[in-house]
Amino acid sequence: MMNSPIKQPYNYFKWQNLLILSSLLFLLVSALPNLYIDKVKFQLFPINPITQKITTIELKNLFDQHNISIDEILTTPVIVSITLDNKTDKNSVKQLLSSVYKDNYRIENSIINHMPSFLNSLNAKPIKLGLDLSGGVLFVLEVETKQALFDRLKNIALEIKTIAMEKRIRGVTVIQNNGNKQIDETNQNLIVKYPNSAIGKIDYLFNQIEESYPELAQRKDNSNQTILSFSSKKTAQFRQETMKQTLKTMRGRIEELGITEAVTLQQGKNHIRIELPGVNDPEEARRIIGATATLDFYQLAENSKAAGILRMADDNGRKLNLNSKVVFSGSNIKNARAGQDQMNMPLVNLTLDAIGGNKMSKFSKQNIGNTMVTVFSEFYRNTQDKMVKKSRIINVATIQQHLGSQFSITNMSSQQAAQELSLLLRAGSLTAPVTIVKQRTIEATLGINNINNGIKALSVGIGITLLFMVFWYRSLGVIANVALTLNLVSLLGLMSLLPGAVLTLPGIAGLVLTVGMAVDTNVLIFERIKEELKRGHKVQQAIEQGYKSAFSTILDANITTMITGIILFTIGNGPVKGFALILCLGILTSMFTGVFVSKILTNIVIRKNKTQLLGVNA
Amino acid sequence: MNNIKFSKYLNLSHFRIVSFYCALVFVVIALFGLFSKNLALGLDFTGGYLTEFSTKNAVSQKEMTELLTSYLPENFKVTSADEGTHWSVQQADNLSSLKGKEWLADFALQSELTIIPQDAIYIGSQVGEELINQGGLALLTAIIVILMYLSFRFEWRLAAGAVIALFHDVLIVLGLFAWFGITFDLTILASLLAIIGYSLNDSIIVGDKIREIMKTNSDAKIDNIINKAIKSTLVRTMITSGTTLATIIAIWIFAGESLAGFSIALFTGVLVGTFSSIAISATVPQLLGLTADYYDKKEEDICQLP
Repeated sequence: MMNSPIKQPYNYFKWQNLLILSSLLFLLVSALPNLYIDKVKFQLFPINPITQKITTIELKNLFDQHNISIDEILTTPVIVSITLDNKTDKNSVKQLLSSVYKDNYRIENSIINHMPSFLNSLNAKPIKLGLDLSGGVLFVLEVETKQALFDRLKNIALEIKTIAMEKRIRGVTVIQNNGNKQIDETNQNLIVKYPNSAIGKIDYLFNQIEESYPELAQRKDNSNQTILSFSSKKTAQFRQETMKQTLKTMRGRIEELGITEAVTLQQGKNHIRIELPGVNDPEEARRIIGATATLDFYQLAENSKAAGILRMADDNGRKLNLNSKVVFSGSNIKNARAGQDQMNMPLVNLTLDAIGGNKMSKFSKQNIGNTMVTVFSEFYRNTQDKMVKKSRIINVATIQQHLGSQFSITNMSSQQAAQELSLLLRAGSLTAPVTIVKQRTIEATLGINNINNGIKALSVGIGITLLFMVFWYRSLGVIANVALTLNLVSLLGLMSLLPGAVLTLPGIAGLVLTVGMAVDTNVLIFERIKEELKRGHKVQQAIEQGYKSAFSTILDANITTMITGIILFTIGNGPVKGFALILCLGILTSMFTGVFVSKILTNIVIRKNKTQLLGVNA
Repeated sequence: MNNIKFSKYLNLSHFRIVSFYCALVFVVIALFGLFSKNLALGLDFTGGYLTEFSTKNAVSQKEMTELLTSYLPENFKVTSADEGTHWSVQQADNLSSLKGKEWLADFALQSELTIIPQDAIYIGSQVGEELINQGGLALLTAIIVILMYLSFRFEWRLAAGAVIALFHDVLIVLGLFAWFGITFDLTILASLLAIIGYSLNDSIIVGDKIREIMKTNSDAKIDNIINKAIKSTLVRTMITSGTTLATIIAIWIFAGESLAGFSIALFTGVLVGTFSSIAISATVPQLLGLTADYYDKKEEDICQLP
């Protein structure tokens, strides 16, 4: 196509053009649902059939007095229905109606949408709006840092027992006070008791423990007893670390839910505040956020001399004795994907990080032919409001070969179970159990005034740009404006398609800015065409040449910006991520409409025998 | 005729070199502001105090914001729930912010609302420490990748010019925020992203033109080539910057307080970005010793139009 002479008549029905047209159409249809906004409808049912009827004029006057704009009022003998212009007026209307008509009418409200059925059947959805524009759901989570500390001490106790057994120090007992009691976290400790016969060797044990856990204070109570505890400073430090890790995990989970503009922050000592925008199904969000699943891999106890035996039954009721020391845990999992094996059975493919990979490699090499057990644990609150850990064996497998950092868990009950498990494992496991203590629907942080002002600003901005383009480039300017409008609509369409894209007020400003910058594509092309015309090319040749040589410039500029956008999208969170997404999508659509669509438009509009363009005679 | 042209080029060169040193001075001033005054970081970065209360009657968001604005000394963020009866107010953690819930009683008196105080608690920042570290790393990666891509597509000196211009633009905006003590929140951080995109775009278009002229006109002086490139892209630069600035001004004027900081950042960014595409990204390659016959020595394929 590059050097083909442009003599033959322009063929409008080339496959490229059809492709461009169909993708444009597809994006336009995707953008359509944004035209139909949800409206609030109130319905008044007379309690008593003989109640005097409310007239339309009466209602209209009432609302006018309170400056509430109404979309529609319908009165029939059995029902009065009122549709509001603004969703935000809902509360004041509710108050107003109940103060006037509460005695004689039953008042109900619902949300309606007049979206045509063909859009509904396409499952098309409008863009999700951010917390500032439409509110969302608030969750407050309580993190059981005490439980995490208890678990940590439990592991240390286990290690003490193991060392004592390995070094044949007999008679050592470790007592851990019950973490589930209402006990202050600073009072958690381990009491190690040993008989006189062990005193000679016990120093070795404590040296070992001190080496592995330097943060643990050792206090000798009497000649037969030592108390191990964390100082209050260390406890606070441990709590902070747990909170930090939990926050990170929560951010990961929200990201896995496909929500970009969420707010996640620590609240007080051990709470986490999560605000999620545009959540249609709070229950799903609740399940994923509140889930405290961890995965641990154990070996069977018969194969090992280590202390501590965990007795568990698998799904078939078979009793298994597990070595309570885990081979590795969920925190070593780098990636998890749900998939299917050759028999179409659901499974989860796991990739371990370097530490986990080494552990697995070493373990599986020494244990070929032995059994490995996968245990899935969840925390939940029982009826006495106590945190309880429930563990379940989900997989018992024989190690067939030397495994590396990649392997899979088979025997999943369903595809959905596999997907959910992989999501939880991907998003990171929690060291401390969490519970949702508060759930609330929150309203938009920006009032309707702010939103209207924002939209006004954007219309003015775009208006100036469009007017200028027509003034400066005349007929080509009109083409540029059509391309710009299509760009904006395509961008809206693309954002409606992506479940993760959320629109906020800064996002809208970003959107307009992308459009402002999309002008650049057209300006570059037109200036090129002008240059070619000045060099003495014929109009059509100049157009062809102009589009061609401007394209490489546009490509370079956009790819570089795209690189920045993609990198910031992958690491950023909150507004940065949302903005990066709009930026990247904007680049794609501006290239698409600014180069390809406007090329077609130019070919259609500019006649072949035209002798003058952009004020230059050809 | 020739003479006039010559002097024009000479002037442009002077302008460029002088502007380049001006830009250096600006960067130093911006850096000084950043280190001496620090950025006034917003709630998103610092965390602060959260006070929760409920009101007996539903209050509209607008009313509550007005009441709180007249009462609270500092910037705040207010969220409502349960149909305008449950409120949470977030204030930054500094000396003048009102901590605890004691102020609610006083506020209730002044605003004549029936207020039931609930929680008053310290909240952490939305931007975690690990995110700041990660962000720094990501920016570094982004810059290295951009340098690599541009070096591959253009030439390393042009690439360096674009990246230095990028640093300049971002630093000036940050410096402005530090000097004037404007609150720097996540939205402003997002606008920096747009500035980065804009700055790169401008630099590359000038760089692309320099490359093009160098290829066709390899025996001219590099100084003249750069001037010619700037002049031939000037119309485009003006139109694009002009329309973008007009849009930003519209946002600034009409969109109100909630986007003021955002518009200030973008306005400065675009203005400075346009300036730096001429003064820095076109001048740096020359100072680094780019010669006009570079592309004669190195035959390279041009990107073909699909």
